[in-house]
Amino acid sequence: MIRELSWVDPLYLILALRWTVAITLLALAGGTSLGLVVAACGSSGNTAARLAARGYVGLVQGIPLLAWLFLFFFGFPIFGIDVPGWLAATVAFSVYSAGFLGEIWRGALISIPKTQWEASASMGLSYLEQLRHVIIPQAVRIATPPTVGFIVQLIKNTSLASVIGFVELTREGQMTAAATLAPLPVYLMVGALYFALCYPLTTYSRFLERRLHGAR
Amino acid sequence: MALVELRSVVKRFGDHVVLKNVDLSVEKGEIIAIIGRSGSGKSTLLRCINGLESVQSGEVLVDGVAVHDPKSDLRNLRARVGFVFQSFNLFPHLTVERNITLGPTIVKGLDRAKAAVLAREALRRVGLEEKLNAYADQLSGGQQQRVAIARSLAMSPTIMLFDEITSALDPELVGEVLRVLENMAREGMTMLLVTHEMNFARRVANRVLFMNQGTIWEQGPAAEFFQSPKTDELKNFLGSVLN
Amino acid sequence: MGYSFHFRDVFAAQDALLSGLALTLQLTATTIVAGFVIGLAVAAAAVYGPRWARAAAHAYVEMIRNTPLLVQLFVVFFGLPSIGIKLDVIPVATIGLAINLGAYASEIIRAGIESIPKSQVEAAVALGLTGRQVFRHIILVPALKNVYPSLTSQFILLMLATSVASQIAAPELFYAGSIIQSRTYRDFEVYTIIAVAYLALALLLRVVFALCYRLLVRRR
Repeated sequence: MIRELSWVDPLYLILALRWTVAITLLALAGGTSLGLVVAACGSSGNTAARLAARGYVGLVQGIPLLAWLFLFFFGFPIFGIDVPGWLAATVAFSVYSAGFLGEIWRGALISIPKTQWEASASMGLSYLEQLRHVIIPQAVRIATPPTVGFIVQLIKNTSLASVIGFVELTREGQMTAAATLAPLPVYLMVGALYFALCYPLTTYSRFLERRLHGAR
Repeated sequence: MALVELRSVVKRFGDHVVLKNVDLSVEKGEIIAIIGRSGSGKSTLLRCINGLESVQSGEVLVDGVAVHDPKSDLRNLRARVGFVFQSFNLFPHLTVERNITLGPTIVKGLDRAKAAVLAREALRRVGLEEKLNAYADQLSGGQQQRVAIARSLAMSPTIMLFDEITSALDPELVGEVLRVLENMAREGMTMLLVTHEMNFARRVANRVLFMNQGTIWEQGPAAEFFQSPKTDELKNFLGSVLN
Repeated sequence: MGYSFHFRDVFAAQDALLSGLALTLQLTATTIVAGFVIGLAVAAAAVYGPRWARAAAHAYVEMIRNTPLLVQLFVVFFGLPSIGIKLDVIPVATIGLAINLGAYASEIIRAGIESIPKSQVEAAVALGLTGRQVFRHIILVPALKNVYPSLTSQFILLMLATSVASQIAAPELFYAGSIIQSRTYRDFEVYTIIAVAYLALALLLRVVFALCYRLLVRRR
């Protein structure tokens, strides 16, 4: 049943944005938790932990996101775990994000000079206190621009959830394109909506980056 | 006609006036030392002569070329005006030989063989023939600066400009560079040097300029300049640097 | 567990997998070349071009960086015929991927160009070299050497991203996987093998790029 492209269609596309944002936030929650573990292991003194973290990052970054999505989507039922499609997708995105965030944060942690540890230790701070008051605040400043940059990537990556049938912005676009046989204007609109969501974040990331290096 | 002629040159960086109505005349074969505090405009003066800095008003005439005119073709002039920098600025990805032959081959259109001969001769003049195939990071600071001088010499310049070329060198390496300069002076090269090496200036220069607050505050023949400074500012400056 | 893995069915389809792999390699190679050329041109425009060129370069980069590759491929796939260009799916995929890579490559190359100290440029200018000569002899090669790691990392990301071309039916490795999956219903096994194949490719590319670097930097 073919229909004309009408003014309602952009509205439906904009509405679909909320699912894009939803997956992004869920994936961020999962990816952040796991990513912190990866970052901590990757910068720890324990060789086994470090190797495990490095292996994890290498594995995640060496396999396309589409493959991760399908592996979890088809993998869960096989191992007897019955989860709705969106949860499988979220887990896949989380695992994927952790592989990148963990690496970004590990880099930030190890870039804090040893002298900071030494100075704070000489003041009598315990390991956890050092982390909390001296190391992590500095690491967060360094890690924020690339993290914001990765969030932009994550938003774009959610478009792949459409491939396993999840109805977010891209999938909504596909359905609209199929219904109206006007794919080009539809996908241009979809692109514009992603742009509207991502561009402010990209600009913010660049602003943070400039401010970070200006201060040094 | 003078080789270098500056007339009422004014140079501004934004609101800050760095050169205020500078007049200067340099004859062929002259050796001029330019001294002064940092910020007095001495490096800027030098850089205006080969067009690395533009001027807001006044005239800069070098070997007949109107450097101040934006329409002038400076490429040709720069082949005749050698410039040596404080931080050497050798090209790190090229060998010493290629650093030196780059100008002759690309700007003057010489073929590689002729340029190679020029390079070897230039290196001989600075005492570094054996470093032909080395890279910059394999050389000491003094050697790098001598290669930089050779690089300019290979273009057969009529005039050489030196912008504090020993300031970035460890003290024990300064001597080898100054020796090269003395040889060039003896061979009759026209040279303008911005320098802190007062003893060298006194010994080698014909004329010394003292720059202060963007003008040539005082100038004179070397011996007289250092022996009997006329202005208070120069007296104070010499007092503080010669101790 | 109640499920037995049947990798054998997947291995039986190795021809399909290999031809998919071959196309993935082909797409990667042609896109790297095209994307690099685009990136270099756009970077040069962004650094040395007149105002309009710099603005155009900036707009191009921002549009690509803030939209998903999947959507870009759809736009190219549906857009080209609408301006009268009818191409097979493989050239279309290559064009879409190259336009994408070009934007990222241009940013990396631009950073490389801007990392060359001004003092180097001054020394070359003082010798009498023209702007073009300075770029060719003093800036280009050192800039590329400086950003080689970032650039090659981006190339590896591109190789992984060719999987997205499966969505416009380019018969590369991932597409081959989905065909086999629909035929054999061995979903998990198929994608495990695909994943391992990509991983191996990524490692291989990393080794190749490292070797190339050692060969190109043939100094002492």
